[in-house]
Amino acid sequence: MRGWRLLVVGLLLAGCERDPTEPRAGFAGLGADAEGFPPLASEAALAFPEDHGPHPGTRLEWWYLTANLRGPDGAPLGIQWTLFRRALRPPTAPTSGAWAADQLWMAHVAVSRGATHRVAERFARGKVGEATLERHQAGVTAAPFRAWLDDWHLESRVAEGTGDALDRLEVSAEAGRGEAAFGYRLALDAQGPLVRHGKPAFGEGSAEAAGPIYLSQPFYRVTGTVTLEGERLAVSGRAWLDREWGNRLMAPRHRGWDWFSLHLASGHKLMVYHLRGETASDTTLFGTWIAADGETRTLDAEALSLMPLTTRRVAGRELPTRWRLTLPDRGLDLTVAARHPNRWMATSVPYWEGAVTVRDHEGGLPRGEGYLEMTGY
Amino acid sequence: MSPLGVALATLLSHYRRHPGQLALLLLGLWVAGALWSGVQAINASARDSYARAEALFDADLDRLTPADSRPLDHEDFVTLRRAGLPVSPIVEGEVTAAGGERLTVIGIDPLTLPGDSALASPGAESGLEAFLTPPWRTRLAPETLAALGLSRQAAGGATPRLAGGRRLPPLAPSAALPPATLVMDIAVATQLLGRGDGLSRLVVPAGALAAAPPGYDLERAEQRLAPGELTASFHLSLTAMALLALIVGLFIVQAALGLALEQRLSLLRTLRALGVPGRTLIGLLALELALLGLVGALAGIASGVGLARALLPDVAATLSSLYGAEVGRTLQLPWHYWLGGLGVTLGGLFLAGSGVLWRAARLPVLGLGQAQAWRAGYQRQLGRQALAGAASALLALGLWAWLATRPPGEGLVAAFGLVAALLLAGALWLPPLLAAGLAGLGRWMHRRPLVQWALADLQLQLPRLALAMMALLIALSANLGVGSMVGGFRLTFLDWLDQRLVADLYLRPTPARFDEIDAWLAGRPEVAERLATASGETTLLAIGDAETPRQPVALFGITPGDTLKPGWPLKATLAGREAAWRALTGGAAFVNEQLAIARGIVPGDRLTLAAPDGGERLRVVAIYPDYGNPQGEVLLATPQLRHRFQAASGSLGIVLADGEAARPLASALRTRFDLDTTALRDQRQVKRVATDIFERTFAITRALNALTLAVAALALLASLLALARERRRQLAPLWALGVPRGRLVAVQLAQLGMAALATGLLALPLGLAVSACLVGSINVAAFGWRLPLHVFPGGMLLTLATALGAALLAGGLPSLALWRTPPRALLAEEAP
Amino acid sequence: MLDIRQVYKAYATPQGPLRVLAGVDLRLAAGESLALMGESGSGKSTLLHLAAGLDLPDHGEVRLDGRAISSLSEPRRARLRRERLGLVFQQFHLVPSLDVLDNLRLQARLAGRESPDWTARLVARLGLAGRERHYPEQLSGGQQQRLAIGRALAPRPALLLADEPTGNLDETTAGEVLRLLLELVREAGSALLMVTHSPVVAAPLDRRLRLSHGRLGEAPP
Repeated sequence: MRGWRLLVVGLLLAGCERDPTEPRAGFAGLGADAEGFPPLASEAALAFPEDHGPHPGTRLEWWYLTANLRGPDGAPLGIQWTLFRRALRPPTAPTSGAWAADQLWMAHVAVSRGATHRVAERFARGKVGEATLERHQAGVTAAPFRAWLDDWHLESRVAEGTGDALDRLEVSAEAGRGEAAFGYRLALDAQGPLVRHGKPAFGEGSAEAAGPIYLSQPFYRVTGTVTLEGERLAVSGRAWLDREWGNRLMAPRHRGWDWFSLHLASGHKLMVYHLRGETASDTTLFGTWIAADGETRTLDAEALSLMPLTTRRVAGRELPTRWRLTLPDRGLDLTVAARHPNRWMATSVPYWEGAVTVRDHEGGLPRGEGYLEMTGY
Repeated sequence: MSPLGVALATLLSHYRRHPGQLALLLLGLWVAGALWSGVQAINASARDSYARAEALFDADLDRLTPADSRPLDHEDFVTLRRAGLPVSPIVEGEVTAAGGERLTVIGIDPLTLPGDSALASPGAESGLEAFLTPPWRTRLAPETLAALGLSRQAAGGATPRLAGGRRLPPLAPSAALPPATLVMDIAVATQLLGRGDGLSRLVVPAGALAAAPPGYDLERAEQRLAPGELTASFHLSLTAMALLALIVGLFIVQAALGLALEQRLSLLRTLRALGVPGRTLIGLLALELALLGLVGALAGIASGVGLARALLPDVAATLSSLYGAEVGRTLQLPWHYWLGGLGVTLGGLFLAGSGVLWRAARLPVLGLGQAQAWRAGYQRQLGRQALAGAASALLALGLWAWLATRPPGEGLVAAFGLVAALLLAGALWLPPLLAAGLAGLGRWMHRRPLVQWALADLQLQLPRLALAMMALLIALSANLGVGSMVGGFRLTFLDWLDQRLVADLYLRPTPARFDEIDAWLAGRPEVAERLATASGETTLLAIGDAETPRQPVALFGITPGDTLKPGWPLKATLAGREAAWRALTGGAAFVNEQLAIARGIVPGDRLTLAAPDGGERLRVVAIYPDYGNPQGEVLLATPQLRHRFQAASGSLGIVLADGEAARPLASALRTRFDLDTTALRDQRQVKRVATDIFERTFAITRALNALTLAVAALALLASLLALARERRRQLAPLWALGVPRGRLVAVQLAQLGMAALATGLLALPLGLAVSACLVGSINVAAFGWRLPLHVFPGGMLLTLATALGAALLAGGLPSLALWRTPPRALLAEEAP
Repeated sequence: MLDIRQVYKAYATPQGPLRVLAGVDLRLAAGESLALMGESGSGKSTLLHLAAGLDLPDHGEVRLDGRAISSLSEPRRARLRRERLGLVFQQFHLVPSLDVLDNLRLQARLAGRESPDWTARLVARLGLAGRERHYPEQLSGGQQQRLAIGRALAPRPALLLADEPTGNLDETTAGEVLRLLLELVREAGSALLMVTHSPVVAAPLDRRLRLSHGRLGEAPP
């Protein structure tokens, strides 16, 4: 099955001409051209609840949830729930038959605590924009909001018309068998509004080079249960949901990215996107400063600086697990460090995704926590 | 040249002067190697096919099927997946290639298919996206291309047309797939097969589910028989025949080696006198053996591959019709096949040559001039042979007694052992019997000097002829045994066809039109009776109160009317035929012999079968023979079957009233219901198809059988030719004493004819015993049915004639040479 | 070069052991020729076989070039035979599957000492010129024996052992063959031990001994 699995992801995330056995190609491909897909308007207006649902006119899309939790003993736990959508081909007249596919769905589920890191991955074929969508193995419906693959799901607990569908969610997944079984069922309650990031365009003016649309709901309070290593744990903490769709997630010059979603103790949220190129000039660094009321300020390379401090050998790769992040305007000089280096996602396209702590660079006072994602290493 | 080289060249120079012996040796090795490696090539190729079929998915995946017999569809899949069950859909069906060959289409969902499946290895350009989206891809084994009329070069991306005019998705060959199988995405497979959303089955990783979800049955992977297991008996039979050929071939080799040694005894002594150490000589003889063996074995293996290539289509047809197992029709040979073939041939050669080497090693260096002293011990050797024969016969008796205590269908290997022991006993006894017979005759004929001389002379020749005669005996007996078995089977099968095919016309309407056509036929005055059938599939759940491993069984419905009942054969009934038929109409069941033997079912048992309304309990009232069916089958009256199992209607047999012709009704049916040619067949057509299948099934057996016999005849011929020159020298003094050449030739032919006739006569009871073993034990174990033992006097006469013919042909050529030799030359040859 | 001392040899027979040699002493110097005479069955051939290392004595010693043959292993005895001895048999024992030339140089080749000049000379002297590619069965008896002599002398053996080399030939041919044998033995520089029952054949040799009742005695010239 190995062959298919690698292939699946190579194709799910990347262009189909790439060698699927070369994992890096998966991320490098996210900068490739997306021929045949209509370009996104760079300042597209959004409409909800429709935009909570899938955008089959775009090549790539995800619903990406990470949470920093604590168990009854106060030990930190991290969870991840992700649903990826990739269009197999530009939208055309739908093919008939229940099995006909124009979308590939891929879901990743992870639970981690200390040195333990459990990961599961599933795939499904799909057809978007059909009346009988809810009778499929995987899909996302906007109203009522529900994203699922098999029995893994993320769904709204908001009664229709009483608020944004993402304000209150339930997420649930179970994977593995016997001793290796793990999973969670969590209730998410947003304490603030949905925010939109100003992700810069990657290209030099052409309409197709427009960046993806990128939203976050960073204000979730979480309660629920997590199953891990034969235990059922009552947990609580914070969660961050990312929504992103577009035809390209980075420019051809980019090799991969480092992405930070941080819950600061001050009540602020900080998102930092670091799109790495071969050289410094090919690298794009930007972020969003989010106030507790949801007011955002886009941060550019002048307002931010990011520097890897320590690298660790993980799954045969050198990965920076400690970073120095400074926001001079805000007087912040922070060290962002992985709770544990073993957060490698050995999925069909492998990447690193794990919880981080945030401390003052000088003095080491705790300043918050969050999640780090590193791709393309 | 080194001294060793000189000595070897001197030893080998013998063959330059006697190329006939070299040819004989190589011939023996060649035929032994060819038949053995040919059959092994077939077996290896078949095993490769099975391995690929098992690697496909069946070996390691459990299956989910609906508890009732409703069809599965997309909704089952989604419901189960969304309940968290790791199921994956499979759709399987058949399409017909433009050339008429039937190919299995398997539609999969690569995104959910579990396991390390052979399907997983991506073909050259069959990336996932191409596989999943139009125009999709067809993945297939390279050897399947021939069925689609494509060469390997032209295959990639081709979209061949099927019989119905539809095109296959672009091809992507992959060697890991089983033959005659097309693998493609489930989306295009359902389209191609016209299945809508329908599924054939759902698979789950082995052991992933502790129990079946409500409304489904879980069939564990380990409960299913792999095709390799089902067909093992068939391959064992082929191997047994190949072994027979190997042994016969090695008999030739042994005879040739013995001759070549005997004629070189004085050469060996001379070389030792000239200073070649004895051990060196043995080493050189072994080297000679190895060199010859290598040449013979390589030639044998090369021809074996050719033979296998020629026989494989028949084998594939046999396996497909007897067991439903698909085997590629082109050879797939693993590397170890070549080494194995070489090893077996060379090993056999050294086994045959070890006696020769041993004798050469014990050769006294001072025996110069007293050549062939070892022949004096022949009498002792005969005694030992008779003892060994008796031991072999005892072994056969023991095996027979043991088999008699086993339930039918078990002990395939022991049954083959029994046959081998029988043949061996016969072969070992042959020379002592011949010697004793000759001695007795000689005493009796003491008044007729020429006859007495002929008998004494034959006794003298016996040591050299014995091996060839033994080979002939084994081949004759095996031939007679297998011939009787196949012939008996054929008679039984044809009888059984006659009894089962009682209607004049057979109609296969689509289920939708079945009732309409049936009603129309009911109103036709020329139709005497309509024999509706129905068929379905179910699972055997329990026998009596004992749960059995779940076994899929076929359901078949017949109409037990006045036409069918009298002829339909039954092997065992509960309370007589009449009662059995009455009970069948009333809802009881018959089971076929295969199922009865495999599961130990006897009339009176109650079976529980899976049915739409849960389990149906049926009483078994009779067992019927069902030749050629690989599957267990339960027979019910058609209305019962359609009602209780919601089975689909099958064919409709039409029995015409007396004096009515089939043709007018057939054309009326065709016009009225617009039937195509395949939907309506007359009885003769059906019988011809069935008989054709039968003949193809046993073509391989017959071919191997004939080849073995030919080899044995060749062995005899070759031995006699090798002796011919020496024989002439022995005959010369008789000629000098005044016996005319004509008489000499006649005497020689009579000698051989007598020996061959004796061999043939011994082969008759031996062949019958072999046939009884085949019919009584091996057939039951291999195919699941028992046949009556048929005796064919014609076949026996043919056996005798073959023995005589082979001997006379073999004796004839040297005799012809003798006839042509000028008398003076005979005496000149007498000088050393 | 050949030194036989106090050799005893007996054979087991159904009628009890048969004593053939009872304390035989025999010495033969290099280049010397000796005729061993005696009745049929007197043990001449047995003594010859002992000298060739084809058989071993019950007691006593057979020394060749100072080495005791009986203490050598079979392969070493075979080597000695190959390299130092030439044998001529009454029955010729030619190799039927080899032609004249190959038969002639068979032992020389086995000994690894083939000399083309000497071989060519032997072919000419033995009167086999033009028949090199014939097979033994195509030759007359005299020719076959000449060939057997040539085979034994081709490696220029130190010692030629001949067992009734003319026993199978008519008188005229026998004379010719004998003369040739002696000439060639001289040319090759070999010693000769010849078993014969015929005084005529024995006459031209340097020495003559008679074997009777298992013992050797001088034979009249």
